[in-house]
Amino acid sequence: MEHLAPPLSALIGELEKLPTVGPKTAARLAFYLLSASKEDAAALARAIVELKEKVRFCSHCFSLTESDPCAICNDARRDGAVICVVGEAKDVYAIERTMSFRGRYHVLGGLISPIEGIGVDKLKIQELLDRVRAEDTKEIIIATNPNAEGESTALYLARLLTPLGVTVTRLAYGLPIGGDLDYADEVTLSRALEGRRAL
Amino acid sequence: MRVSTLDLANFRNYAALHVEPPGGVCVFIGDNAQGKSNLLEAISLLATGKSFRAAREADLVRTDCPLARVAARVTTSSLEVQAACIITRVGEGARKRFLRNGRGVAYAQFLGGISAVTFMPLDLQLIAGPPAIRRRFLNVALSQADRGYYRQHVRYTGILAQKNALLKAPGGVDRKLLATYNEQLAAVGAALIGARAAYVRGLAREAAAVHARWVGDAPQLRMRYVPSPALPEGDESPGAVLRAFSLAWETHGAAELVRKTSLVGPHRDDIEFALDDHALARFGSQGQQRTAVLAVKSAEYALLAAAVGEAPLLLLDDVLSELDAERRRSFMSSIEGCEQAFVTATELPDLAAGSAVSVFEITDGRLAARAQT
Repeated sequence: MEHLAPPLSALIGELEKLPTVGPKTAARLAFYLLSASKEDAAALARAIVELKEKVRFCSHCFSLTESDPCAICNDARRDGAVICVVGEAKDVYAIERTMSFRGRYHVLGGLISPIEGIGVDKLKIQELLDRVRAEDTKEIIIATNPNAEGESTALYLARLLTPLGVTVTRLAYGLPIGGDLDYADEVTLSRALEGRRAL
Repeated sequence: MRVSTLDLANFRNYAALHVEPPGGVCVFIGDNAQGKSNLLEAISLLATGKSFRAAREADLVRTDCPLARVAARVTTSSLEVQAACIITRVGEGARKRFLRNGRGVAYAQFLGGISAVTFMPLDLQLIAGPPAIRRRFLNVALSQADRGYYRQHVRYTGILAQKNALLKAPGGVDRKLLATYNEQLAAVGAALIGARAAYVRGLAREAAAVHARWVGDAPQLRMRYVPSPALPEGDESPGAVLRAFSLAWETHGAAELVRKTSLVGPHRDDIEFALDDHALARFGSQGQQRTAVLAVKSAEYALLAAAVGEAPLLLLDDVLSELDAERRRSFMSSIEGCEQAFVTATELPDLAAGSAVSVFEITDGRLAARAQT
């Protein structure tokens, strides 16, 4: 890219580091920003800097927040006796979008995977146990991903939490709403059969 | 079933190839390193989703090309399927995408559409070679016949890799996490062991029958599945296997911690072959072992045909030249109902009379049909 002005090739290089962005998309974005107004470009730059400066982890639930403790931990209307355990902070937003959960969260910061060097001590698991011991927790809902690591993490947590006298539940496996039965893969369908309910 | 068209683009040494192979036996003849096996590899890739060579997947893509495509139109008794696999270079490795009738499908969904039994020189070591060859044989055969088996095997391999990484992790092993992995391994392992036990039982019955047809009153071929953990009760039901797992971990759990690897589970299974009561691997002659392997491959073909309700493709890679004329004829005539077989050889082998044989010559990635003589 020697034929490009160095600031332009530098920006393309940075954009290429982003997930799902390849060289062509990076170049298109960079040329777009070049043609955008100075204000728009500055606003984007400012948003990125503020993101890194102001967003941090809640010291209680380890979700992302600007104020510590976070809005959810501070919200007195939420049921502190139910904690939903998720892998990543983005999973909190997925569950919040449902607007049907009124308890609190605990973000592990990943899923157990010794292959990737993510051991138990790298995750906020001790913090979860401390919370359960200190607070009057009745139920832990484990909402880790339905993949191999999520499954192992859930089983491991159940092993640790059940002796503490809390109810440990796991999100149900089932069929996507609005989907066709014959499009579902065999595993999902057989899990849905196992988890069927009386009408 | 039969392949009616096969198209390769930038696959191995083929820039572009279009073949419409006829039914019967298609023999590809050529010197070494001209691309004979690559053709069979392409067909097998569509059947199993994997190369039958233990090689880097990026090597499937022709040198200096970004991607390769293998596509075939396969006619079964009930329908016509178009299957394709696209292999794209990604960094040092490669990524595969599977298409059925032009639509992208997941690997597990793709499996089982086309079925093929591959027979290559490595299979001749099935009896005397290391146990990994026998486990690979079981996995390839069962994955094609039973999609559920394939999924369970992938799960098992994934959990096993995590457990082994945990055992090797610096700073000690979290016992509760170890117990979690063991609990999962035992549950999935019980499913694998149950499926393998049933498969080997069927295979043993079929192989013994084929073998007896060939050798008459000579000692009978016996096969025994040797699972890990050992099942003292001889009972392969999930409950019994789970009990065997916990018993085995009581005994070997400490050794797993010391040796930092998993010592118990179907990744250490084996199969034993015997002629009457004499272990074939130790006491069998080379000829006896070969005859037994042929009987087992012939039985594998029969079992896959029964499982899919259709005669699978037969892929014989450079293996006929390893066999004497009599074994070659016995094997070919034992494959019943096969509509289409693909054979590679350096010279035209003498095949069983009665089968339609078409001959293609391959030179440096180019194919030419040889006129029938």
